[in-house]
Amino acid sequence: MTAYTLRRLAEVVPTVAGITLLTFLIIRLIPGDPAEFIAGDNLSAENLAAVRERLGLDQPITRQLADYVLGVCRLDFGTSLLTNLPVSTLIATALPVTIVLAVSGMVLGTLIAIPLGALAAYQGWRGRKLLDQAMTWCAMVVDQMPSFWLGLIFMLVFVLHLGWFPATGPVSWDDPGALVLRLLPAVLILGVDQVASLSRITRTSVRDVLDEDYIRTARSLGESGLSTLFRQAVRNGLLPVVTAMGLSFGRLLGGTVILESIFALPGLGTLLVNAINGRDYPIVQGVVFIYALLFVLLNLATDITYRRIDPRVRY
Amino acid sequence: MATRADTVTRPGLLAGFVGRRRKPAFSHVTLVLGLAILLPMIVLGLCYPLLPLPSPTAPSPVEALQPPSLLHPFGTDRIGRDVLARTLAGARVSLLVGLTAAILAVAGGMVIGTLAGFLGRKVDGILMAVTNVFLSFPSLLLAIALVAIFGAGVWQVILAITVADLPRAVRMQRSMVLSLKTRPFMDAARMAAAPTWWLLVRHVVPNTVAPMVVVASMYAATAIVVESALSFLGLGIVPPTPSWGNLIADGRPYLREGWWISTFPGIAIVLVSISLHLLADGLRERFSVAD
Repeated sequence: MTAYTLRRLAEVVPTVAGITLLTFLIIRLIPGDPAEFIAGDNLSAENLAAVRERLGLDQPITRQLADYVLGVCRLDFGTSLLTNLPVSTLIATALPVTIVLAVSGMVLGTLIAIPLGALAAYQGWRGRKLLDQAMTWCAMVVDQMPSFWLGLIFMLVFVLHLGWFPATGPVSWDDPGALVLRLLPAVLILGVDQVASLSRITRTSVRDVLDEDYIRTARSLGESGLSTLFRQAVRNGLLPVVTAMGLSFGRLLGGTVILESIFALPGLGTLLVNAINGRDYPIVQGVVFIYALLFVLLNLATDITYRRIDPRVRY
Repeated sequence: MATRADTVTRPGLLAGFVGRRRKPAFSHVTLVLGLAILLPMIVLGLCYPLLPLPSPTAPSPVEALQPPSLLHPFGTDRIGRDVLARTLAGARVSLLVGLTAAILAVAGGMVIGTLAGFLGRKVDGILMAVTNVFLSFPSLLLAIALVAIFGAGVWQVILAITVADLPRAVRMQRSMVLSLKTRPFMDAARMAAAPTWWLLVRHVVPNTVAPMVVVASMYAATAIVVESALSFLGLGIVPPTPSWGNLIADGRPYLREGWWISTFPGIAIVLVSISLHLLADGLRERFSVAD
């Protein structure tokens, strides 16, 4: 187990190096003169020179890369072009919001998806096709709804018409009640987005397990249907679900960007979108790097968990 | 163009398209349902200027924010533009972006994946290292980063989505090529002294076409959703060019007064996305592609 974890950790190193290089290229790949693009309207010679100096674009490219890599190692992405604040400080304030959203969205999604998928599989197994198929179709339709549209509909119904949640307001960690109300809509949508794909996978996987001999044995020994379902079938059918969770982290993180924007939450996504609109490229680099790092770490965690719950896996 | 007779005498070519015909195409419910939603959307998107509708771009302030009525079935937006006309105009852009990006990504993935899988060690090592780096970005985030580099606009968005989808297509093609490489018919062809390009063109690539067509259909669905997400965030296709994403963004400040502005383009996205998935399911059954 330890050896595996270490080897898996070692694999992360080149990936992070690649991410560093790609985020470095974000500014350098802007077509034409990056400084001219970033400077925007003020194209005077001294302003251009100032932007170049600020971003280190006046240095030779190898020097720029070395500086950037050193910066990343110290988690220093420079300072914002608009506000002069260090990018790392901005990220540190925004990151907790995004992490809370992503984690609670995933937990909520899993808590709903697994029982739902298992029940659908059980119904199908018992020959009640109708409920099984209704659930499968519902999951498919919900799965195709883009989260920003779902978010707006939620906003329309629950925030604007029913007034259950505040539409705006500060996100502060001192007032947990208000914080929960503020974050809940986004968490709900993220959860629903996960439910759709995870419940389908749970259904397929549990359905397969239900056809195993040991399920028949358990039933013939007198274990009740639902008890067999949750104690035998679901536990054994969880492996593909863990894999699917790993794959859906990408969608989850993408979803946070959109939902933060809709519900005006000051997370990484909002920071990123505002930075792109304001051509504040040091922030863009930093945020994209952190998102990719989060994604890589989440995948690492999935692999290690997978190995933990299924010792048969050998690499 | 290969004719039926041609493929009969040369089994293997386009296997899965013609060779394994079992049922008529229309016996696949999902395939028919998918096409029944998708094709009218494409036709409407292409032909909307011929329909007796108000212009999608000309404002008419007198009619601002009207709810759906007979005159304006989907209502009007904040400056009186007809939402139905705008949704159809948006269909043209959104479908163009989605379908083009999916086709480009799958085509690129087939070329790069075949090279990586077939040419072996060194090329494979380099190509896979690059692919893995791209795969370590969540795909929407990669698309956002690329749009930040290339700027906003239809072709920039197509490029961004293509690059964001490419790594997964490469991986998939590579794994198929790797498994095909070990099949007996490859040994047979090699023993018949077939040159490498012949092996690729005649034996490897044709066998990957059917699964990749299925994948293309699913990528098109995600590409349309990603395009609309980018445009919704104001990073993708910017007004005055209407796309479903920026139409939804348009209606966002007016949710309370005019729910119809954002709702109808959203329904269009959901419908197209579902139809492309149904199409993928139907094609998968029809080509007997294993998951």
